Amino acid sequence: MHIYLPIAEMSANVLLLLGMGGAVGFLSGLFGVGGGFLLTPLLIFSGIPSAVAVGTGAAQIVASSVSGAVAQYRRNNVDIKMGVVLLAGGVVGSVIGVKMVRILRLAGQFDLFVALAYVTFLGVIGVLMLIESINAIQRARSGNPRAFRQSGQHSWIHKLPFKMRFHRSKLYISAIPPMMIGAFVGFLGAIMGAGGGFIMVPAMIYLLRVPTNVVVGTSLFQIVFVSAVTTVMQSSENFSVDIVLALLLIVSGVIGAQFGAAAGARLKGEQLRLLLAALVLLVCGRIAWDLVIKPPDLFSISKALGGP
Amino acid sequence: MTRLCALLLRSLALTILAGALLCFATSLPASAQDAGIPDWGKPLRKNVQNPRNATPAAPPAKKGAERPPAKGEPAGKENVEADVSSRTIAVTSGFTGTEIVVFGSVVNSRQPSAEAGYYDVIVVLEGMPLPLTARRKSNVAGLWVNTDMVSFESAPSYYAIVSTRPIEEIADEALLQKHAIGLDFVRLAPAAISVIETQPTELKAYKDAVIRLKQKEGLYLKEDYAVIFIGKSLFRSSIALPANVPLGPLTARVYLFREGELLSTFQSRVRLERSGIELWLYQFAMDHPISYGIAAVLAAVLAGLLASMPFGRRGPA
Repeated sequence: MHIYLPIAEMSANVLLLLGMGGAVGFLSGLFGVGGGFLLTPLLIFSGIPSAVAVGTGAAQIVASSVSGAVAQYRRNNVDIKMGVVLLAGGVVGSVIGVKMVRILRLAGQFDLFVALAYVTFLGVIGVLMLIESINAIQRARSGNPRAFRQSGQHSWIHKLPFKMRFHRSKLYISAIPPMMIGAFVGFLGAIMGAGGGFIMVPAMIYLLRVPTNVVVGTSLFQIVFVSAVTTVMQSSENFSVDIVLALLLIVSGVIGAQFGAAAGARLKGEQLRLLLAALVLLVCGRIAWDLVIKPPDLFSISKALGGP
Repeated sequence: MTRLCALLLRSLALTILAGALLCFATSLPASAQDAGIPDWGKPLRKNVQNPRNATPAAPPAKKGAERPPAKGEPAGKENVEADVSSRTIAVTSGFTGTEIVVFGSVVNSRQPSAEAGYYDVIVVLEGMPLPLTARRKSNVAGLWVNTDMVSFESAPSYYAIVSTRPIEEIADEALLQKHAIGLDFVRLAPAAISVIETQPTELKAYKDAVIRLKQKEGLYLKEDYAVIFIGKSLFRSSIALPANVPLGPLTARVYLFREGELLSTFQSRVRLERSGIELWLYQFAMDHPISYGIAAVLAAVLAGLLASMPFGRRGPA
């Protein structure tokens, strides 16, 4: 069963798209991340033009995050104030990122840039998470109590001005780091077609030291709004949001995510992080492979950029 | 579950359409015309002016001496007349490629039977010339990176050639080149800047790459022996249009050859255009990109919430 995608201008297998959306949705529900960092590479591997994959990814993230954000909000797991600060930075980053996509597409380097961005960030975060989760599991096995956040520890981050009190996160820190993190994630979201949860969550945990229970909800809250802005921007600047593709991925993804979340509730945090780290490194390796291995055909063709 | 999904999709599509309607209800008819393809009208017909195959006004003695008509067969110049199975192909959400049948007949055929092989027919189905960029990767610090490029001002978006036998056997290269018949002679026009900056041999490599890659995408294709004579004058061939065929008008050119000589040509056109919801969405996205983006976000939010609603009561509230 095939469906013609009006913006991607190609016919694609509906079941394949639904399957991909569902599988990624399951994983995103399991790990509490947007799943864009898995979906975008999958779409590109399956032949969707990378710009359309990235643009449509933004719309898919809105949908997959909105239900999660609402669920987290109901559980009082969202630090709205922190979310708004992250969001302010995120919008700026997204605007810059979308412009960058256009410039890179014109230069013919977009695919390379996307691949490099994925390899770099997935690689670094995957390795960090792997080490961290293995340590955590070893600690748990040896019977020592898990090292919790040391509230007395202060780093350079705590010396910055514009301090704000974030009640829900029990933090009193400068607004600059969350804003910078938001901007950086917004920028990457626009370029990589990912919500950036995989960067946002570790950054909030390790840099801002936001309590783990608030992290997922707050990052989802921010991702919904930044992805919405990115979707509108990608539509108007790059004409690269395929609504038919997005809806197929959304419906299957959201349903998959519900099952993923249910499964995730039965697993321990360390195990989850170990699994996620393995997955992240797998995707990273797959993309890196394509960059390093000599392509079967050195030439490639692309049509001139669409849109008026 | 599938029914629920279908229902959701349909209601969402309706929402988007309603938004689209509001946004450009007044401008739609105008934009549809602007984006539309000019009405091609009646198929064009052209007779090749060939000194050997002169007009009926030419002295009959010379012509008769050269090609005496068989007994009982009508004398006169051979012409080819052809048409396509469908002049307009609507690309809807169910489009998975299609097949175009080009059929025609040789007027005043002197061929005794379908198997005689007296005539050769070549059918070329060509898409719109579109700009295209070809890039070449090379290894930079261990990574394969696009380093060189050649832009083409125009390259046919689609090019299919079918014939009664291999085209090299039908006519010589000069004639084939003149009429852009065959994958070797597809009209690829490199941009002026690329011609100046690129070595001729390099340019050739790029052209070859374009044709090779287009063939790989199924957009350039060639099939010998795919035009078949059914009777002494009637012939047909079917040409596959893949699902990824770029939309736009296609030109079908039919060439009638005999012993390396072009007797007659005929041209017909096929319109390949979006239709129904595909057309609406595409025009909405291109003409009102910001509204389209907002509609996409609203649809995404709605879909996200609706699809998760059946699960809403699960888990701690």
